[in-house]
Amino acid sequence: MEKLYKFLKYTFIILWTVFIVAPFLWAISTSFKDFQSVNSKVTYIPWLDFEPTLEGWRVLVKSPARGGVDIVEPYFNSLFVTCTASLISIVLGTLAAYALSRFTFKAGFVRNNDITFFFISQRIMPPIVLSIPFFIFLSTIGLLDSLIGLVVVYIVLLMPIAVWIMVDFFNRVPKELDETALIDGCNPYQAFYKVVLPNSIPGLIVAGMFCIIFGWIDFFFAFILTFTEVQLLPVKVVALNSSITPWWSLSASALISVAPLIIVAFIVERYLSKGNLSGALK
Amino acid sequence: MAKIELSNISHTYNPNDTNPTYALNPFSMTWENGKRYAILGPSGCGKTTMLNIVSGLVRPSKGNILFDEKDVTDLITEERNIAQVFQFPVIYNTMTVYDNLAFPLRCRNFTNQKIEERVKSVSDTLRLSSFLNSPARKLTADQKQLISLGRGLVREDVAGVLMDEPLTVIDPDLKFRLRRNLKEINEQYKTTLVYVTHDQNEAMTFADNIIVMDQGEIVQVGLPKDLFEKPRTTFVGYFIGSPAMNLFNSEILSDNSIKFNNGTIKIKTDLSKIKDKNVKLGIRSEFIKIATDQKENIVNVKVTRVEDFGNFKLITGKAGDLEIKSKVEREIPISTEELKLHLPAEKCCIYSNEMLVN
Repeated sequence: MEKLYKFLKYTFIILWTVFIVAPFLWAISTSFKDFQSVNSKVTYIPWLDFEPTLEGWRVLVKSPARGGVDIVEPYFNSLFVTCTASLISIVLGTLAAYALSRFTFKAGFVRNNDITFFFISQRIMPPIVLSIPFFIFLSTIGLLDSLIGLVVVYIVLLMPIAVWIMVDFFNRVPKELDETALIDGCNPYQAFYKVVLPNSIPGLIVAGMFCIIFGWIDFFFAFILTFTEVQLLPVKVVALNSSITPWWSLSASALISVAPLIIVAFIVERYLSKGNLSGALK
Repeated sequence: MAKIELSNISHTYNPNDTNPTYALNPFSMTWENGKRYAILGPSGCGKTTMLNIVSGLVRPSKGNILFDEKDVTDLITEERNIAQVFQFPVIYNTMTVYDNLAFPLRCRNFTNQKIEERVKSVSDTLRLSSFLNSPARKLTADQKQLISLGRGLVREDVAGVLMDEPLTVIDPDLKFRLRRNLKEINEQYKTTLVYVTHDQNEAMTFADNIIVMDQGEIVQVGLPKDLFEKPRTTFVGYFIGSPAMNLFNSEILSDNSIKFNNGTIKIKTDLSKIKDKNVKLGIRSEFIKIATDQKENIVNVKVTRVEDFGNFKLITGKAGDLEIKSKVEREIPISTEELKLHLPAEKCCIYSNEMLVN
C-alpha cells in the first residue's frame, strides 16, 4: 500500500513537472534557433540537431532603425507601471482593509461587507465594460498614452485585490493584538504600524504578489490606452508577430517576460514556506 | 497603582434598541490600592465587559470610572496606564522576548537604562531570562502567556493589572507556581491585581476579595470564607464549592425551625420577619456529618452512591424525595444502605426568594 502510494505520488509529480517545464524548455531551445531550424524539420538539441544562434535575442535589444524591435523600453515601462501601481494599491488597500476590518461603518443600508463587496465588484465587471469610461476619463484629464495614466488605471484594477486579501487577513488577526498594543501605551496609529503591520507581512506579501502578477500580465488596458508614446511589454510582445512568425524572438521575449514573475515566485515561496509568518495567537 | 472606583456603571451592547439588554446592570464598586481581587462567574456573565470598561476598551453606557478620585471615563486606553492580560497569549510575533517586555516602557518613553532594569527584574520573576534574545514566536504557549503577563507587570506605575483568565493555557503545575508568583509580585510592588476566572479554586487561592457575578449582576463580594459559609444567594451557593451546596425546598414551621422531608430542622436564623412560608435550606456537604450522639437535626437517608475522591468520600443519599450530598473523611466506614446524617444548625442557611436570610 505504502509503496503503491509512493509510486503514484511520484508518477503524478513527474508528469506534472514535465507538463510545467516542457513549454519552457521548448521556448528556450526555440529562442536559439533561426528560420531554417524552425521551419525545415523537427529539431530539439542544440549543436546536434541545429546550430544555435543569438539572433532571436539580439533583435529584442536592437533599435527599430537597425531592424530590431527594442523591447527594453517597454520592459522598463512595464516594470515602472506595475511596481508603482502595486505599491500604491498595497498602501491604500491595506489602510482601507484595516479600517474595514476594525471599525463599523454605516451609511444608509451600506455596511462594512457592502463596502468590501464594492471593491471586489470592480473586478467582477468584464474589462471591456470599463474600457470606454477609462478612455474618456484619461483623455479628459490628458493622461491618455502616458505612464501616469496607466498607473492610475492599474491602481483601480489592483486595489480591489489588495483590499480583498488584506480584509480577510486582518479579520484573522485577533483584535486583542490591537487592544494589547493600546494597553501597552500605543495610540491607534502606532498600534497599527508598530504592531499590526509587522504581523501582517505574510498578507502583504501575498497581496503584493497578486498585484504584481495582475499588473504585469495585463494586456487589454495597456493595448487600449496607449498608442505611440508609451508601450508596455505585453503589447510589444504581441506586436512582434508579423506575416512570418518570428518564433525565435517571440520565445526569447516570452522568457524574459516571465522572468520577473519567476523571481518573485521564488522569493515569496521562501517566505511563505518558512511557516513563521503565521498569526500572532497561540 | 491606584484606587479604582466604578460608580453606577452599567453597559449595554445595543444602546439604540428600544429595549436594550444589559451586559452589566448598574453597580458601584471600589478596588482598593494594592489588593488582589478575583471576579468569578460563569461564561457570559459580564466579567470581561467589566474588565474592558476599566481598561477603556469599552466605554460604559452609563456611569463613571475613577482612578484615585480622577475621572477617567473619557480617557482612551493608552492614557489610562493600565495593564490587561487576555485569556490567550497575545505577543508581538515579530519581536524578541526582550522587545516584547520592553514595548510598554518604550511606548511611554522610559530611558534605556530603566527599561533594561525593569525587563530584567520581571523576566527573573517569570523565569524568562534565558529566552530574552529569542524571537517571541518560537516559545511555547505557556511561555508566551508569561510574556503577556510580563508586559503587564513591567510598568511599576501601572494603575492596575487586569487579567482575563490568564492561566487557562498554562499547565496545572506551573499555574500553581504562577499564582504564588502573582501574589508575591502583588505584595512586593503593591500592584492592584484583578483576576477574572470561572475557576473557583483559582479565585479562592488568589484573591483577598472575591466578586461573584451572574447575568450582569454582582451577587456577592466577600472573602473566600464568607462565600463558602454564607453564600448571599442560592446561585453563589450553587456556583461555589464542589459539589455545589445542598439546596432543599422547605417550609417555615416556627421562628427557628423548618420542615425537612417529614421531620424538623432547627436553625439559628431568626425567621420571624419572613412572610413567604416557602424557603430554601442550603447547607454545604462539608458540614453534613454522619450522626454519632446528636439528638437534633438528624436525617435518615438511603445511600444511593458513594464516590471515593481519594482525599474524601462523597455520599449521595435520598431522604424521601430530597437528594442530599455529604463529604466525609475516607477512613470512616460507611454503611451502604442506611445512614443517619447530622445537619448542624449553625451551618444551615435559609434562602427566601433565593436571597440569604440573616
